[in-house]
Amino acid sequence: MLRAFRFIVELFTQRHGVVAFAFFLLLGLLMREAPVTVRASIVSTALSTVFYPAQLVVSSVGGYRSVVAENEHLKEENARLRQETYYASEGLQELTRLHTLVRFDDKWDYPIVTARVVGHNPGRFLTTLVINRGTMQGVKENMPVFSMNGLVGKITKATSTHSRVQLLVDPNLKLSVLEKKSRVVGFLESVDGHLLTAMIPSHAGVEVGDTLITSGLGGIFPKGIPVGTVKAVRKSDLDVMRQMDVSPFQEFTVLEEVFVMEKEPEWIIQELLDEQ
Amino acid sequence: MNNNWKWIGTFILFVICFVLQTTVAQWLSIFGAGPDFVLILIVAIAIKHGPAAGVLWGFLAGFTQDVYAPVEWLGANTISLTVLGFIVGQLEERFLTLNLPAKVGVLGFGFLLCDMIYFFFTGLEKDVVTNLFFSKTLPECAYTMVIGAVVFHLSVGKKKRHA
Repeated sequence: MLRAFRFIVELFTQRHGVVAFAFFLLLGLLMREAPVTVRASIVSTALSTVFYPAQLVVSSVGGYRSVVAENEHLKEENARLRQETYYASEGLQELTRLHTLVRFDDKWDYPIVTARVVGHNPGRFLTTLVINRGTMQGVKENMPVFSMNGLVGKITKATSTHSRVQLLVDPNLKLSVLEKKSRVVGFLESVDGHLLTAMIPSHAGVEVGDTLITSGLGGIFPKGIPVGTVKAVRKSDLDVMRQMDVSPFQEFTVLEEVFVMEKEPEWIIQELLDEQ
Repeated sequence: MNNNWKWIGTFILFVICFVLQTTVAQWLSIFGAGPDFVLILIVAIAIKHGPAAGVLWGFLAGFTQDVYAPVEWLGANTISLTVLGFIVGQLEERFLTLNLPAKVGVLGFGFLLCDMIYFFFTGLEKDVVTNLFFSKTLPECAYTMVIGAVVFHLSVGKKKRHA
């Protein structure tokens, strides 16, 4: 066996390697001329056996370089992402605030005009505000006005650059409301220009702390805008109705900015109600 | 050093060259042209140990490259490097003394020869071969000759120190 091996080695190494050359060249030519399936078989066999350990070595060395490069890349990306996270966090906070601000709800598919409160009425009671947005910005009369906390009132007069807002506490504004839990409809008004009073049917069983929202009736205010909470329940002159004091979600004296919902009044609803 | 250790040493060099070829050659590439460490090794082996060693290591190197090449071209690298090992091996150091420029010249000649054989066996179209020759073969040949000169210079220096 050893002698045979030695003979082959000598055969290959003698005669200036002609035998070895002929042998290996023939192998190469055979591989070159073999059918594609045979070639694929040769390659897959070689890869899974002889070259497998070599691949591990090569990939580990190649991996070192890629790890270094990846590390640099990740450092840069990390710095960038930190920056972006900061901005995103800021943006998210702002978005949350704005969502709260506009009581974001898909069902209110109306454009919103942001306005700054630029004046109060000079009377003793605060019943109207003046905002710095008018018809040039799309503000029209009878458009609902609200803040981040809840309903504020509606536009009663709009000029090109400014508008006047009638607050909920204005005795001239009567509003249809819905008790959120019982879904019973009542109405809200301010008798004295200071306190809000709601009249809700007795059977609704409204209690202190219950929430009132706009009912959507009347055609001016869309349904679902928070109005206030029940502060006290009083007996009414009418047994079928309960009179209750309402604490508005929005304190009107501290308003700095409001939102006007560009919702045209649906007078047809009011007309139909009036006909009844 | 006995024969077994020479074989092991050559095998380690062989592996190192493939590692260099798949890693360092890419890092050193200029405008997509990089040196061919494997070819330098085959030429060095063939010059040092003769045609039989050149053929054997050329075959192994070519086959290794073919395994990672398209299956349709299997054998092209094997044949080209086998031929290279045999032809360069005729300039074996036992019979000839090559100075550094001659070795670098042989390396360049071997590079071009190897690529010509490779192009022939891959069956690429003439236009493609022409384009590859000018855009890939020539610049990489020059680059490999530069790297080869450094390698041969270092190996000669080492041999002189031993002497």
